Amino acid sequence: MRPAALGGPGARTTPPASDGAAPDTARPWDRQEPRDEQPPATDASSAEPQPPVTDEEPSAETRLHAGEEPPAAVEPASDADPYAAEEPVSEADSQVEPASSDFAEATVGAEVAEEAEDAEPDERADSGHPADVADLAGRAEPADSDEPAEDADPAQAADHRLSDANDTADTADAEDTEDDGEPADDADEGEGDTSASAGTTTSDDPKTAPGKGEVLEELPAEAAEALMSALDALRESIADLRFGLDLPGSEEAKQAQAELLAQLEDYVLPRVRTSAAPALIVIAGSTGAGKSTLVNSLAEKNVSRTGVRRPTTGTPVLACHPEDRKWFAEGELLRGLERLDKPEPEAGMRSLVIVATEKLPQGVALLDTPDIDSVVEEHHDVAHRMLDAADLWVFVTTAARYADAPAWNLLRLAKERGARLAIVLSRVQEKSADVVLKHFVRMLTEYGLGDIDRFVIHESKVADGRLPDNEVTDLRLWLAELSVDEERRAQAVRETLNGVLNSFRTRVPALAKHLEAQVAFRAELRGDVEAAFRGALVEIDKTSKNGSLLRGEVLARWQDFAGSGDLMRSLQVRKRSRAAKQAPERVLAFKGAIRTGLESVIVAAANRASEEVVARWRHRSELGAKLGENLDRPSDNLVRHTGRTIASWQEHLSELVRTEGVAKRSVSKLVSFDPDSLALIFMVAMFSGGNGEGVPHRLVNALLGAESLRGIGAKALSDLRARIGVLFDEEAMRYVQALDSAGIPDESVATRLYQATYNLEVAR
Amino acid sequence: MTTMTTRPGLAPRLAALTKVVELGPGRLDKKLLNEANGLLLRAGDRLKLSSEHTVVALAGGTGSGKSSLFNAISGLELSPTGVRRPTTARTHACVWGLEGAGPLLDWLQIQWRHRFSRASALDKGDSQLHGLILLDLPDHDSIRALTDTEADRLIGLADLVVWVLDPQKYADASTHRRYVTELAGHDAVTVFALNQADRLTTEELAELVIDLNDLLRREGVEHPSVVPTSAVTGRGVESLKSVIATAVARRRAAIQKLEADLHRLEQKLSQSMPMGEALSAPSTVDEARRMGLTDALCDAVGVPAVGEAMENVYAERSSRWVGWPYPRWIGKFRTDPLKSLRLDDVGEEIRGIATTSVSAQSAEVANAVQALADGLSMGMHPVWRTAVHQAARSRSGQLPQALTEDLAEVAPQLDRVPGWWRALKVWQYFLVVAFVAGLAWLVVGLLMPGQLPPSLELLGESATLPWVGLMMASVLGLGALSGIASRNFVELGASRERERLEREMRRRVAAVSATMVVEPVERELGRHHSFYTAMRDLSV
Repeated sequence: MRPAALGGPGARTTPPASDGAAPDTARPWDRQEPRDEQPPATDASSAEPQPPVTDEEPSAETRLHAGEEPPAAVEPASDADPYAAEEPVSEADSQVEPASSDFAEATVGAEVAEEAEDAEPDERADSGHPADVADLAGRAEPADSDEPAEDADPAQAADHRLSDANDTADTADAEDTEDDGEPADDADEGEGDTSASAGTTTSDDPKTAPGKGEVLEELPAEAAEALMSALDALRESIADLRFGLDLPGSEEAKQAQAELLAQLEDYVLPRVRTSAAPALIVIAGSTGAGKSTLVNSLAEKNVSRTGVRRPTTGTPVLACHPEDRKWFAEGELLRGLERLDKPEPEAGMRSLVIVATEKLPQGVALLDTPDIDSVVEEHHDVAHRMLDAADLWVFVTTAARYADAPAWNLLRLAKERGARLAIVLSRVQEKSADVVLKHFVRMLTEYGLGDIDRFVIHESKVADGRLPDNEVTDLRLWLAELSVDEERRAQAVRETLNGVLNSFRTRVPALAKHLEAQVAFRAELRGDVEAAFRGALVEIDKTSKNGSLLRGEVLARWQDFAGSGDLMRSLQVRKRSRAAKQAPERVLAFKGAIRTGLESVIVAAANRASEEVVARWRHRSELGAKLGENLDRPSDNLVRHTGRTIASWQEHLSELVRTEGVAKRSVSKLVSFDPDSLALIFMVAMFSGGNGEGVPHRLVNALLGAESLRGIGAKALSDLRARIGVLFDEEAMRYVQALDSAGIPDESVATRLYQATYNLEVAR
Repeated sequence: MTTMTTRPGLAPRLAALTKVVELGPGRLDKKLLNEANGLLLRAGDRLKLSSEHTVVALAGGTGSGKSSLFNAISGLELSPTGVRRPTTARTHACVWGLEGAGPLLDWLQIQWRHRFSRASALDKGDSQLHGLILLDLPDHDSIRALTDTEADRLIGLADLVVWVLDPQKYADASTHRRYVTELAGHDAVTVFALNQADRLTTEELAELVIDLNDLLRREGVEHPSVVPTSAVTGRGVESLKSVIATAVARRRAAIQKLEADLHRLEQKLSQSMPMGEALSAPSTVDEARRMGLTDALCDAVGVPAVGEAMENVYAERSSRWVGWPYPRWIGKFRTDPLKSLRLDDVGEEIRGIATTSVSAQSAEVANAVQALADGLSMGMHPVWRTAVHQAARSRSGQLPQALTEDLAEVAPQLDRVPGWWRALKVWQYFLVVAFVAGLAWLVVGLLMPGQLPPSLELLGESATLPWVGLMMASVLGLGALSGIASRNFVELGASRERERLEREMRRRVAAVSATMVVEPVERELGRHHSFYTAMRDLSV
């Protein structure tokens, strides 16, 4: 047992409540199994023959001193408690766990642990006498009072323990359904292990504890400042986040953003600024679990309305000691909420009722929250916001509800956030208490929450919105301990704060990820637009080169033009004729046909591109489909613009032919030609593509020379491409506008978020 | 076991739903389609199975006392109750009147060992419950239920659902959001049992009942039937029993449930595919639109241009055959620009250009089809609009090719030379020969009188010379006249040919577009119309 006691420091490494495995067995939980509870108590007490006085801190109360010797307490407790048997004891930390399996005792234990942590190692050595603990624990807990007195010598204690373990075997069995092995053995082993490991841990403990303390504890001024500014930067970056696109997950992201922001402002910043403030204990849980009743009972005052209607509480109610009232009423914690003095029926969710009562110990405040699972969904949000600002979570559930999915979601959240958590199981009927408790504990253990503080409240007559006093004694005690022991309180506060800051490591990058997803999504959509129109351009290019443009009317007109002799007539032997302006109507018709042909090619390509964009968007997501609504057609202006574009291109080409197509000197002596007709022939040559074999090619070639044919051809083609490009850009613009109208996520904010998260880590 | 007699409404509505499901794939949202399919299957199954039985499910959150109530109603400890949560993991069933219930229980997938019968042992006093199949469902809100859809499934299958609520959990979001709101409209087949009433004082209970009623009304349950019960004291169990008994006796719950489901589904359907003006949308392609399409396609092929080209080319070419030869010969002395460009062979090729046949321009074809689809699908739901477009385009890949091939058969052969052109050419040459002969005569008569051999004396006869001159003039005149006349003939023929050609081409374009565009479009339009007709029938 001794070793176990020494192991205590080891336990300290893990600050969580788990240490709480204080020796006081007489917790409500245990009450159901009086047999079990006795032995450990005895153990503990017997194990520590020495008086508790050793404490280095004279100021501390005796009770607290008691708390100081957690390790010793731990061991016996674990023995005694059937649940403890389940817990793994092998690791150094694990000592903690067995201990924790005691519910209410946890308080003392936790306290102890904290204190222990702060304490200097050598002091610890002194104080580390289990005896005190047991003793004190006995005193501290009224429940224990039955059996605390027996101070046996250690050996005896050991014996006791063994036998106890055996005694409890059946209970353990019952609990541990799968493994019907000898729980007694387990327990024994556990002991052995713990003690051993305890021995080892003790040595490094002192180091680890301060190391941790540095992070959590009073920071040097500049470090605190750095932390503050890092947090401020983080807050600003988060506030700057805009999720414009309504992608799947963006609602969640927005909510997460709001939550983060609220938590930073409501809780983290104020907490970092003034760490010595009273602890805010948030009571959360299912509707009808009796949160308000619990708060009323603890405050001994009807601070929060209770009733049979579900959900009952809509406005959060904060109960605190009058001394602390100022801090909560004027402080920055939850400053976004309007303060009220008493509940008002029309008070919205955005307010906070603050009630002062002498009955609550100083330094701890209770916050009664709306439920987490009723039909009024706003309540869930408020409850979560309150939890985000909590220093300690007290989760209230009932015997009928403890398997509810929402309850476990909340527990999971608490686990994720690393928040200090205590569980109250209320409305437990005396007759079914054993079974329910065991089952619940097993579920918790399986969930990895086996070591948190637990309290049981039996189903009893609620009078005037309050429970009978004896039902809440343990909780009251727990509160009192928190109140008195500043170190422990601060520890809890820091732990939760640390948990929250840790959670930023994943929560903030998750936000940034979503933003990046939005940016990526937007880029994808834009890419779709570009790809579609680029594809359309390529297609037009292809069409304009493979001769497929020279079909239908264009072909007929070309045949007309050539076959009717106009082509020949447009070439005049210089000397003879000045009568060049013949048959303009056929030339015009031909020109018109080419224009229509080009137009239709462009319009068809634009049609296809538009459809493709919308199809791609739709394929990507629902949002894409929504954005693409009414955009599956090219704009109404397209046809008009295209006509204009092509006409002016044709003019441009004629101009080119006229100005640059200076005929070969040898030719110009002999032949004159009509530039308009030549431009047409030129177009045909261009669009028939191929190898320069056709008639138009050869004609143009002969008239203008291969050089200028190529030059003008290249110019005309690139000019055409540019003009169509402009047209398509206009079209593509509509899609971009649709995208923009949905909101433009700013990528740089994501980077800033990462940076801010990193800075925060550095500052810590 | 008799088949269920359906109220007049249900059968046709189910038929309409069948139609909707038939026409829905690719048009309706997949989830909705699955739901509709599921409902159809369920309705089919349920209507086939015993109509003598009414499946009543006790549903609720964990710990609300479903099993206790189940036991209280059945009067036996059939379903284990307990304080551990969740207690019931498998559905238990108790049957009053086992005959014919087997297949129904199989359908509900109730395990054999969880089936109980009140047929023999317990029949006394419970005759009004004859035909009841009471199910004790697992909960739907515990962490176990997250991975188990048993409760969900049976809530969907049961004819009547009794929601077992308790004072603690009656306002849970898990019950209300996931089920009650979803089941709005199911008033007739939903009962709310407020269990554990023994935990409350009378006043509290009254307050709670009022609150619950309000809550349910807010969620769309118009006439909530709330029965306070207590499985522990037995209070209210009788009234719950009688509520159930009424439903069981009327044998209508199954139908009502299906009707309510159908109604709900129909609402969802019409939300996702609003009726709007859908039924007034065209179900066929009318004449005007067909004409429009044909016109557009003719333009794509260039039918008018082809006609014109033919006319011009014929006129141009005919002059080479039937025209007065002299101006042509004079023209030959003109410098040919091509010759001066050393492109002699190009002239031949240029003439060759005029022999290429008709073809359709794909882009214009695509645009024409698009325009038709646009016009027809105006105002339709986007899904249907896309469908109509797709139908219109279904064969547009082959359309230009088909048009080209089909029209090539009637395309004018521009290098064709009719026989009378040749005859006229012979005639013109004959006239030329005559003219040359006259000229020779004239020359001989004038220049060499008397030097002629006696056989040709006549030629020297000076008296004939004026006549010869006159004859030569008339030969020239005749040549010019016949040139002009035949050219007119050519033009007349060409324009008549052009008219015929255009008509024929139009006819063919119309025929091709009818099979390749209009037909598939009309199929889709028909589908659209029958879909919305079915939707209308469904909602009636």
